Parts: sequence; C-alpha cells; structure tokens
Amino acid sequence: MSKIEKALNKARTAGMLQVMSPAEPIAAGQAQFSNPETLSTGKTIAPTLEQRAISTGAISRMREDGLLGKDILVQNGIIYPEAGENATVRAFREIRTKILQKTGGRNGTIMVTSVTRHGGGSFVALNLGVAFAFDAGKTAMVVDCNFSNPTLQNLFGSRKNRGLTDYLEKSDIDVSEIIHPVGIERLRVVPSGGRREISAEYFTSFKMKSFLDSVARRYAERFIILDAPPMTETADTRILADLCDYALLIVPYGKVTEQQIIASAKAIGEKKLIGVVFNNNTRPPNVRWRKIFTNPFGILFRRRAYRIPKK
Amino acid sequence: MKFRSEHYIQLLINEAFQYRKTVVGLFIFINLSLLALGLSWPKLYTASTTILIEDKKIIQPLMQGAAVATEVADRARVFKDVIFGRKNMGRIIEAAGWLKNDPSPTEQEQITEGVIRRTKITNIGTDLIKIEYMDVDAERAYKTTKNYADLFIAESLAAKAAESKAAFDFIEQQADVYHQKLTKAEEQLKEFRSENLETRPGSDADIGSRLSALQQKIEQSTDELKDLEIKKKSIEGQLSGEAEVATVLSREGQYRARIAELQSQLDTLRLSYHDTYPDIIRIKHQIEDLNDAIAADRKNREAAKAAGKITIDESVINNPMYQQLRRDLSQVKINIDTQAARVAEAKRDLQREIDLGKRVHGGEAALAELTRDYQVNRDIYQDLQRRREAARVSMNLDKERQGLNIKIEEPAVLPLQPSGIQFIHFILAGFFLSIAVPVGLLYAKIELDPRVINGSSITDKCKLPLLAEVPHLWSPRETEEVQRGLTWQYLLIIGTVVGIAVIASVNTVNVLSQ
Repeated sequence: MSKIEKALNKARTAGMLQVMSPAEPIAAGQAQFSNPETLSTGKTIAPTLEQRAISTGAISRMREDGLLGKDILVQNGIIYPEAGENATVRAFREIRTKILQKTGGRNGTIMVTSVTRHGGGSFVALNLGVAFAFDAGKTAMVVDCNFSNPTLQNLFGSRKNRGLTDYLEKSDIDVSEIIHPVGIERLRVVPSGGRREISAEYFTSFKMKSFLDSVARRYAERFIILDAPPMTETADTRILADLCDYALLIVPYGKVTEQQIIASAKAIGEKKLIGVVFNNNTRPPNVRWRKIFTNPFGILFRRRAYRIPKK
Repeated sequence: MKFRSEHYIQLLINEAFQYRKTVVGLFIFINLSLLALGLSWPKLYTASTTILIEDKKIIQPLMQGAAVATEVADRARVFKDVIFGRKNMGRIIEAAGWLKNDPSPTEQEQITEGVIRRTKITNIGTDLIKIEYMDVDAERAYKTTKNYADLFIAESLAAKAAESKAAFDFIEQQADVYHQKLTKAEEQLKEFRSENLETRPGSDADIGSRLSALQQKIEQSTDELKDLEIKKKSIEGQLSGEAEVATVLSREGQYRARIAELQSQLDTLRLSYHDTYPDIIRIKHQIEDLNDAIAADRKNREAAKAAGKITIDESVINNPMYQQLRRDLSQVKINIDTQAARVAEAKRDLQREIDLGKRVHGGEAALAELTRDYQVNRDIYQDLQRRREAARVSMNLDKERQGLNIKIEEPAVLPLQPSGIQFIHFILAGFFLSIAVPVGLLYAKIELDPRVINGSSITDKCKLPLLAEVPHLWSPRETEEVQRGLTWQYLLIIGTVVGIAVIASVNTVNVLSQ
C-alpha cells in the first residue's frame, strides 16, 4: 500500500472523501458515482432501480476467490442458498425480507445482539449477512464488535487477521486492511482483532463512528451487520446501538425470562429495535427414523460419511 | 396452561429431544428399579374360606312366636368380635406356629396385629362370610384360615347355646319369683275373705235397699206419730172440757130437779094440808138438805178448783162421753208409744246398716287391691311360664344345633399361586412410570420454567415484533451424530424392554413349574 493510498484512506475515514479500496477498486468507484446523496447528507437512502443496477454491476465485479464449499459452510453453521428447503435457511430469508420491508429497501447498519451470552447472536449476525448476500445485487459486511468474546475470527482458522480493534487503536491501518473476504460471495467480514475486555471506549470513539459511516457508504446495497455483545452482559451494547440504524434482538431458547427480554428491548429503544428473533436450537434434525427402527446396526456400523473438515 | 394446547406437543418433543439422554436414562432406571422391586417383593399367599351361616331353617316357622332364634346381623362384624379377641387370636397364632421361637409379649402383640391386618372378612350376601388371610408362607396361610373357620364355628355355636341357656335361666328364675308372689297373694286373699264374711259381692246393694226401706219406714212412722200426737191433744182437750161441764150440770141439775120435784109435791100438799102437816115438813126439810148439798158441792168444787184438783163424783164417772174419750185417749197413747218405739227401732236399724255399709266399703277396697295383686301376679306368672317353656325349647334348639346352621361352605385350600401385587404388575407399572415420569417432569418444566421457550411468548407477553424463529442449523455431520445417538438410545430402550420381558417370562415359568 502506497503512502498516497494510506492518506486517501485516512481522509475517507474522516468522512471527507470516498476512496476506493484496493480490493474493490471498481466497485468503490461506482459507489462514489452512484451515491451523490450519500455524500451530501451523510445518510443512507433508498437507491433507485437504476442506481441498483449500477450497484449490482459493481457488486458483481467484487473479487471473490477461494469460495468455501457447502460442507465447510454448513459445518461452521453458515447457511447457503442452495439449501432452500432447510428450515434455518427459510427463517433467515424471512428475517431478511422482513428487515427489508421495515427499512423500505434502504441499506443500513444493523446491530445484532443477544439477550444473554451464548444466545446465538454471532450465529444470527453472520447468517443474516449471508442471507443478505444471497441476493446477487446486495452485499453484506459483518463486523465483530464483541471484543471480549470474538467469534468471527474462527472463520479464518488459524490465520491471524487484523481487525477492528487494530484499526481503532492504530492510525496507520487502512479500512481496507480489516475488511476480509471469508469465501462467501458478496460477504465481507471485519473481525474484532485482539481480544479486549473494555469496549466502551472503542464504541464511543469518533473513529468508530466514521468507520461505520464509511463502510455504509461504500455500497448502496451493502448491509452492515454488527455482531454486538449480549445485552445483559455489558452496557456497552447500548452505546453501540446509538451508532446503528437498527437493532435486532436475539432470544435464545429457554435461557431468558420475559422480563429480561422486555428490559433488553427497552434498553435498545423502541425506534431502533427492528424485531426479535427467537433462536430455537432445540428442534430436532431430520433423522431417518425408519432406518433407526428397522436397521439400527446399519447406522451404527456404517462409516461416518462426514469427516471433520479442515478450515 | 401457559401455552395454547397445540404448542405443548411441539414443546414436549423439543424438550424431550434436548434432554433425550436424561429421558432414556430415567426410562431405563425406572424400569430396572421396578424389575428389581418386583423380583425382591415377597410373594404373598392368600387362603380363603367361606362360611355359611343360616338361621332361617324349617324349625323357625314351626316355632313362630314360641321360640326366638338369635339374630346374626352383620356377620363380618360378629366374626371380628368373636375371633379378634386376645384369647382366640392367641390360639390362632399358636396353631399357625408363630410361637415356636418363643417371642416376647411385645413381639406376640405385633404378630397378632400383623395377622389381624392381613385378615380380610367380607359379607357375601346375607348368609355367607368370606375369610381371607394373606401370608408369605402358603402352608401357614392355609392353616390360619382353616383355624379361623373352625374356631368361629365352635365359638358361634357355644356363644349361641350359652346365650339361650342364660335366657332360659333368667326366665326360670323370674318365673319362680312370681310364683312365690302369686302364692302369697292367694294366701292374703283367702285370709281377708274369711275375716270379712259380709263383704261379698252384692252386699253393698242389699244394704242400700235396706237403708232406703228403713228410711221410708222411719218417715212413715214419724208421720203417724205426729198424727197421733195431734189426735191425743185434741182428745185431751175434749176430755177436759167434757168432764167439767157434765159434772156441773148433772149434780146441781139432779139436786135442782129433786128440789123442783119436792117443791111440786109440797105445793100439792099445801093445797090440802097445812104447813104443819108432817109431809109438808119432811118435804121442806128435804128441800133444805138438797140446797145445802148444792152449796156444799159448789164449795167443794171451788175448793178443788183453787187446789187444782178435779173432783170427780159419782155422777161424772158415769158420763158416757167422758168414758168414750178416756178410752180413745188411752188408745191414742198406746199407739203413740208403739209408733215411737217403732221409729226408735228403725233408727237403730238404720244406724246399724250404715255402719255395716261403711265396713263393707272398706273391705271391698281392700279386696279389690288384693284381687288386683293376685291377678297381675297370676298373669305375669302365666306369661313367664309360657316364656320359660319357649326358652326351654330355644335352648334345646341350640343344644341340638337346630337353631343356627353354620357350616363351612368352601373349605380353605393350600394356596399354590401367590396373590397380591404380582411380578407382572411391577413390570407393567415400570413401563407406565418410565413413560409417565419423564413426560410429567418435562410437562412440569414447561409449565413452571419462567424462561421463554416459545416464540409466541415474545409476541403475546412481551409485545415485541417477532421476525422469525430460527431453528438450529443441523450440519449433516451433526445430524449423523444425533442419529447415531438416537440409535444407541433406541437400542438401549429395546434392550431394556427385551431384557425385562425375558426376565419376566423366566420368572413366570419358574412360578408355574413350582
């Protein structure tokens, strides 16, 4: 990365300029061209069909290499469009549709937070991003804001990537350096970077706000999804909620009471809360009952078809 | 109901899947526990016997009213009263061999209580009682049941005989007492009668009629007496008046008539003779004598009058009226005396009759009392005598065992099969509980757990928009692992069921082959 590029990036993060990332030069250029209102108002607006066409073209030119296979996706708890009849996939499509209905088709920053720890917030955030990215005309970016318990890092395996904390802490890191493709079409991920216990200072920083603004503006059809820490665990999530356009509350199965849900919804605020997702992880999978009953030993002595995949 | 009913099935399935290992573990644990309980459960043998108690036999209608058959109402209660006493229970447990190890009195008490607890007595209809006894030892169950029946029959008959004997003795004693009373009453009555002869039935009426006759007589006599008195008074009045006038008129009249006669003779003589004629002188002298006699008589009468004396002279007595009145007066006097005597007599009679009447009245009251005593005693005695004979017959009935027909209808037999809760019941209970308990626990969890397990709670209770319900994304590997796990659990359940079935059938075969 040249010095000029770094300078441009700095200017862009300060909200003054829109600069193309080297990974997405053409798309960025198109975005700049196609979003004059975004520049002038600093707010996302609903794109026209024409703009969408241009944007789609730009998105289609996003460089995607090393896409992950379905097996690996599914082993990592990530949906894929071909599994259309899968209940989980259907559920995410439904969520996506409802969000689009509520936002009027505008892109925006959506914070996904669970009521409690292990509530499936990261799972929903990632898959919601994937669901948005199903559409060839849309792109999504999942930002891991859960500094104390980051999970998106797992997508990269043992590969160490720069993340949000690195970007916020260091001034010489460009935005493009923390946005990583993960092998899923039209999906970009910003990992959390190093593990941090206190996240409030990051969320309140100006850099954080400008970062969110800049990534939202890059593509008119890009949905920024923030994987936020659980509501009941830290008050920092509320700070993060202020930075977002919308918030999605995840209710895990059998872990929280109605009062906790109501308290969390109140903390987020009625305006921001776009809806609640009930993460019911108890529904049994489609097992072959007949085979279990008729030929149980056949199941037990068969070689495992699925090996643990390498990430 | 926290949720709508259609949610429950899905929630139960979800929860059962989530806690599938626990559910399967509970299933196996409950089944095996009840299997073990069933195997270790003591086998209880029940022996039963039926006793027929029939007291309405042919003899009863025949002896209707004369003999009273003892009633046996609630036979099971009677049995308990008869047998569960200390004495009889002592005999029962001794005969069953409980006392072989020489237990302490406390232990004996416990044994007795245990035996009573395991004994069941039921009324079958009105005449049958069924005695059931349960024991771990078949032989002992049989013996005890048989002893129950024998002892009950013996005790019942003895009790009945004793009861009728006691009744007879009592009635006989009472009959004797009344016999004595009756004899005494008879004695008293006899004594009284001999003492009060006039006191006989009807004497009261006689006295009454006699009294009235006497009273009538007295009244009549009194009236007559009064009449006679009046008559007497009138006669006396007449008599006194008559006598006095007759006297004056007769003597002076005679004197004056004589004087007149003499005067006429004198006058005649004077016509022919001188006063000196002797005849005239004699006549003159006679007239003078007669005047003197009149004067003397007057003088006498006045003197008598002054002295209150009635002077009667010869001329008065000879007055026929006076005589007649005197006769009448004396007659009336006699009549008065007679009547007075009659009245007095009648009054005496009346008084005597009144006294007699009083005496008769008193005697009659005493007699009535004595007679009543006698009659009451006689009635009671006669009744008692009848009763005594009836009681004697009843006693003889019981002695001859004719009054109560009590016999063993169905004798006790040695039980070959254990009774009570069978092994198979434990197995069935195990299956039932092993399904019901986990389902119940899961239901309780769903119902009581305040945490949200259903998407509808978010919309219904939290009033928040629910975008979707995201099920877990099962990867093929996870699905396969779950399938393997479920297969293992299925095999465990099948294994448990088959194992229990094999053990149950072996157990049944063992029992049957014993």
